Amino acid sequence: MGIVYAKDKSHGIQAPKINYDDCDSVETREINLEGVRARVDRIHINGLARTKNDYVEGAVQDLFQAVDFQDVLLKAHTVRNKLNSLGCFQNIGVFIDTSKGAKATPEGLEVTFYVRELKRVIGGINTQVGENEGSLVIGLRAPNMFGRGERVQTEFSYGSKNTNNFNVSFIKPFTGKRSPVFSSSIYQATSEWPSSGYKQVDLGLILDFGLHSWPLIKHNFQWDVAIRDLSVLTKGSSFAIREESGVSLKSALRHILSVDVRDDNIFPSCGSLFKYTTEFAGAGGDVGFVKNDVFLQTNYSLFSDCVVQASANAGILNSLGNDWRLGLMDMYYLGGPLSLRGFRMRGVGPHSEGDALGSTWFWGSGLHLFTPLPFRPGKGGFGELFRTHLFVNAGNIGNFEGEEAFVEKVKTNIRVAYGIGLAMRLGQMARIEINYCFPHSFQETDLSQPGVQFGIGVQFL
Amino acid sequence: MFSGTPLLDKIQYELGAQEPWPKDVKLYQPYEVEQILLPDNANCLAVQAFLRMCNLTFEVVSKSNAEFMSPSGKVPFIRCGAFVISELEPIVQFVNTKGISLTSELESDQKSDMRAYMSLVHNVLENSELYLCWCDKETYNEVTKPRNGSVYPWPLNHLQTWTKKSHVIKRLKMMGWFSKTIDQVYHEVENCCQALADRLEGKEFFFGKNPTELDALIFGHLFTILTTPLPNSHIANIVRNFPSLINLVQRVEKDYFKRDTMR
Repeated sequence: MGIVYAKDKSHGIQAPKINYDDCDSVETREINLEGVRARVDRIHINGLARTKNDYVEGAVQDLFQAVDFQDVLLKAHTVRNKLNSLGCFQNIGVFIDTSKGAKATPEGLEVTFYVRELKRVIGGINTQVGENEGSLVIGLRAPNMFGRGERVQTEFSYGSKNTNNFNVSFIKPFTGKRSPVFSSSIYQATSEWPSSGYKQVDLGLILDFGLHSWPLIKHNFQWDVAIRDLSVLTKGSSFAIREESGVSLKSALRHILSVDVRDDNIFPSCGSLFKYTTEFAGAGGDVGFVKNDVFLQTNYSLFSDCVVQASANAGILNSLGNDWRLGLMDMYYLGGPLSLRGFRMRGVGPHSEGDALGSTWFWGSGLHLFTPLPFRPGKGGFGELFRTHLFVNAGNIGNFEGEEAFVEKVKTNIRVAYGIGLAMRLGQMARIEINYCFPHSFQETDLSQPGVQFGIGVQFL
Repeated sequence: MFSGTPLLDKIQYELGAQEPWPKDVKLYQPYEVEQILLPDNANCLAVQAFLRMCNLTFEVVSKSNAEFMSPSGKVPFIRCGAFVISELEPIVQFVNTKGISLTSELESDQKSDMRAYMSLVHNVLENSELYLCWCDKETYNEVTKPRNGSVYPWPLNHLQTWTKKSHVIKRLKMMGWFSKTIDQVYHEVENCCQALADRLEGKEFFFGKNPTELDALIFGHLFTILTTPLPNSHIANIVRNFPSLINLVQRVEKDYFKRDTMR
């Protein structure tokens, strides 16, 4: 929250209705701000150097609509948030004064925003420990390069196993009521999947155009082109995985529709999240498929802090035909602490010598009851980082091949697991879970993992 | 999962060796008609010849990504039960552990002789084939580039060919072949063939009446050189100057490759 200065000057503003409530010792005055008619005559923004005027103009326009003093205060706050979200300023202070000068109206106000711009280049070096590998990450950021919010972000990481990853992205926000944002990034990413026995190196380019079609409905249109080099992780990887090794070129068009009306990312107490992704690969390259994914999460607050969360996730992948390739990285997998708890990572579905092969359709669902810690230690502070939860997960995965009707397949052999656990918030983005799981129904080929399971991630089922 | 540690690999190798030669052994190589390049073809043919000489059954499987499937990154490789073994020498060793050997009757000095000639072939014929394919402009543009890129979509075909070229050049530089001129390469091939012809003298095979892996290797290389159409056929003409070697190639082809068609 910034600093809001409000000077009470009797002249220039209509006589306010003031209620005096006498208290014994403390003198308080209650002012009904809604009754104070006000009008914003001028807005100043102090401290703009390289930021262009027209870029901030749009953000402050709202303030001119204010009709009373309370409105001015609230709008000043939203404008401050808007300015903050432009990503150009370090800190923003707000100063409200009566308007002076020749053109001042009787109930006029002047609002001044004191801003401090971000430095031209911000950088950092840190170390990261991932799966069996330590790496050094160098990040550089150039915010607000040309004065209209354009920014360049680069990140290089050098791993101890010679896995060099990088990501260079350029982001350009546009002003407008749909708040469109264009971003492009070039990346190289190495990922290892011990549960499937393969290693993957991607070198690619993503062009992304995002906009809001309605205040809460967000669209992303993406073109993702990547050279994917798949190789076996160890000599012991199954031959089915070995057969898939090689280089492929994917060129995919993607549309992501998301509606997020939750009150919090990690432990929401109400609201829903809906995300629908359609991906068409085959606009060039040799990888061809159509993929439709949906993710849904709803939260319902029972009483005080007990929240029931229901989530569902499903996907269907259709190949474009035999002339097109379909890689292991394009397939669906199920199981693991982030999806179907109580099973190993990618532990559900077809396997070959212990390596998960992936499938062309899947669905998963989860039902949680989140409660605060028992006896509420650290209430209102540290304790709020934690939640205990009871959960039930159910899901199924399979391939389209075979005689059986699709609906029948989806309904039979449903895997179910339940359990209890502790979840912890990690910043605003991620959460950690430690669960004790009881796999209830599963197939012989599945790799179930009864007992303690540890998970860290962004999106949980 | 048996992975990583060499000891476990070794143990697994030894354990597997006790089993007889399975029926479903598969030899993986790139597509012969549109993809494979001269050096790879030579090596694939050498392994095929060796397995046929040992009278072992196998099935040839063509895969566009055979090179990436191979544990060593080189073709061909065989899949025998749980084992995946690539290149001629390791395959010979693996077959030996099953009690099958073409060199059991050789003296130890003959064996080391054979190894010396095999490394001569690897060093001279393989490198000159690589040189011809990747460093000779005409051959590179007319044969290597379109063939190597044939299995990839645009623009990956150019990228993959370019990456492979830089790998091959790195190897040739390391071996001291990159600085040679094409005439020097031809000269090396001629010397090599001369040495081989001298060793062969008038014999049926290099070490008497029965073939060894050296014969298989030489067959693979010479047959490929002789039969592969290239814009520049000078290297095939060099080989044609050695009738004893041509005879050897024809003999191996007749004895071990024609049988299938006659059956």
